[in-house]
Amino acid sequence: MNQENSSCSFLMKLETASMLFHRAAEAVRQKRIPKRNLIWLELTGCAGNIISLLDGANPDFKGLVLRLVNLLYENSLMAAEGGKAMEKLFSAANGDYILAVEGAVSTKDGGLYTVIGRWKGQPITAARAIQEFGPKASYVISVGTCASDGGVSAASPNPGECVGIQSLLERKVIKLPGCPCNPDWFLGTLAYTVLYGEPKLDGRQRPLLFYSTLIHDICPRRPYFDQGIFASKPGEKTCMFKLGCRGPVTRTDCPIRKWNNRVNWPIGDNSPCIGCAMFGFPDKMEPFIRYDVT
Amino acid sequence: MVADAKTEGLLFRGFEKMLRGRSPFDAVYFTQRICGICSTAHSVASSLALESALGIIAPQQGRYLRDIIHGCEFLQNHIRHFYQYTIPDFVKLPQGNPLYETVHNDFRLPKAKNDIIAQHYFDSLEISCSAHEMLAVLGGKAPHNHGVFIGGATSHATPEAISRMRSILQNIRQFICTKMVPDACTVAEYYKDYFEIGRGCGNLLSFGCFNDYERLGTLYVDPLVYSDGAVSGLDPSEITENIASSWYADSPATYTPFQAIAEPDIKKGGAYSWIKAPRYKGLPFEVGPLARMWLCGGYRNGISAMDRNLARVMEAKKVTEILLVLLNSLIPGFCSQEVYQIPQSALGAGMLDTTRGALGHWIKIDGGVIAFYQIITPSAWNLSTRSEDHLPGPGEAALIGTAVRDTDHPVELGRIIRSFDPCVSCATHIYSKGSLIRTVQVMP
Repeated sequence: MNQENSSCSFLMKLETASMLFHRAAEAVRQKRIPKRNLIWLELTGCAGNIISLLDGANPDFKGLVLRLVNLLYENSLMAAEGGKAMEKLFSAANGDYILAVEGAVSTKDGGLYTVIGRWKGQPITAARAIQEFGPKASYVISVGTCASDGGVSAASPNPGECVGIQSLLERKVIKLPGCPCNPDWFLGTLAYTVLYGEPKLDGRQRPLLFYSTLIHDICPRRPYFDQGIFASKPGEKTCMFKLGCRGPVTRTDCPIRKWNNRVNWPIGDNSPCIGCAMFGFPDKMEPFIRYDVT
Repeated sequence: MVADAKTEGLLFRGFEKMLRGRSPFDAVYFTQRICGICSTAHSVASSLALESALGIIAPQQGRYLRDIIHGCEFLQNHIRHFYQYTIPDFVKLPQGNPLYETVHNDFRLPKAKNDIIAQHYFDSLEISCSAHEMLAVLGGKAPHNHGVFIGGATSHATPEAISRMRSILQNIRQFICTKMVPDACTVAEYYKDYFEIGRGCGNLLSFGCFNDYERLGTLYVDPLVYSDGAVSGLDPSEITENIASSWYADSPATYTPFQAIAEPDIKKGGAYSWIKAPRYKGLPFEVGPLARMWLCGGYRNGISAMDRNLARVMEAKKVTEILLVLLNSLIPGFCSQEVYQIPQSALGAGMLDTTRGALGHWIKIDGGVIAFYQIITPSAWNLSTRSEDHLPGPGEAALIGTAVRDTDHPVELGRIIRSFDPCVSCATHIYSKGSLIRTVQVMP
């Protein structure tokens, strides 16, 4: 399985998200598959993943909410507020839904370090939300490194005692780490899921569709590495291995897919990869910037 | 009528504790994760704090690169805040879509005007997205950019990059001038009562924004405050933070930025929020686009919920003009980076205005690592809790005294709080004649 996906040509991978998305949206339009319900929870995090989702381009957010799914609950974007918003959340959970979660879960002091709303006089903590809505969802997708593995929310000394959402759920979570998660990774995975069910996952529950190649293996600066030509500081055009670049250990397709409508990416910006999609980010990926590791 | 209001910040992660012991350079990336919609702000404040601690003066070209990245974040934020967070309060979006279902009926625009703005809500998605695209040209990626660093930015401007940014900027500017500004004026026309409510404390503050360039001078606003009808220079030594009503242990209850970092204590009696109470000369101050536009003399109509929304839209337009000046000042191929050394011990402060208002990072380095890192965000200023002397924060003050027409659908409250562009979930309690009528949750 690993072999099959990592030997795909890069060009095919580049189109994967948009191709899957349009296929799924067309299937919904023709009523060959139902328009599924999506609940998006923002838990203990920075909400960077919903902003990243808004930055999607072919596929994009407009396509998501108009053509692919019924987005029943999203804290920042929904028009309803307060108690009415909470009503929508709880009633959505009575039917079939896919749950997307960004942000870790704070567990300290009964989870009171993250309260997402009030319901029937009780604060709904992130912990309660995950335990309430996780088990019944048809699929649970953790969006971003915090939801997938704790991420920055769980950075040492982890004052909020944050954990990734899988720690509080028995059922399987499809993990999409990244800080933030690239919108293509989420929209492509969601489209695949509504069309064909759960995609092939690696040993860390990440879809092989997007998480199979090492950045180092497809980095445009690899010839510099191979010839031993290294940058002495950020801002230079050569290989940043000696500045502590995490490309050699990070398994995402950033060099090809890039960010923000394929405009640029961290290494293209003359700054090293900091391994934001790696388990153990940020603590195990620090220090991010060093002048001459050797 | 709202007799009392408390803004509750209900999320705590503890960035100030997390930063201790880490490499100072890492703060530029780490602090960005405080917030996904304004992450650039923290990378800039952090870079400024490090430059201050290391005794580095960024070259002007480096400042231009960094400030262009920052300016793009302003555009992304303001367009999204206006269309995705503000407009749904006043304009009825397609009710067939569950995301836009709402039960209040205080929608006053005639159908034709309503539907034009509803269409712009969808048109704006590509525009705000393109603001992040423009940011990524120099910043590598958004959110959580990579370009901003000590000295300015790690990226270089190339002729291609400059012309790409100009082209995106032109498109954004056209949208703002032909759609966003008229839409804001239309909403203001039909909701004139919102000029009379949500005033807050009436004090305004800015740490300075797009200011103090060697050749360009100040393009926007200098560090200034407005209080009691007069504008005066900002004195950073008058900034304190108070935690009387916040979930932190009281020792000390008031401190200056370099003095102490508060320890969380969720069981503290009388406290109701994670948000602290920043004060200037012991008083609450409002920060943000209205404060900036007021202090530079660009907007003096009034201080209210609607004035805040208008000022934000006008600031978006102004930022496009500032970005054009900065783009025209770029010299292609300039590299602002050097090999920077971390001293054994040092002290530095990075204070600047960003999308929501005044942001400060205060760093102490000891043994070559971060020993102390204090962050005061604009939302802390605006959604501040009560200080020891029981003065409410600007957001709280803005809500107190508001007449609510329908307590089942208190639309006024959300509209007032969202005019501050808050970056946190918050709850308001309405009290009437001393007894708690209901708790209204308002989530931005």
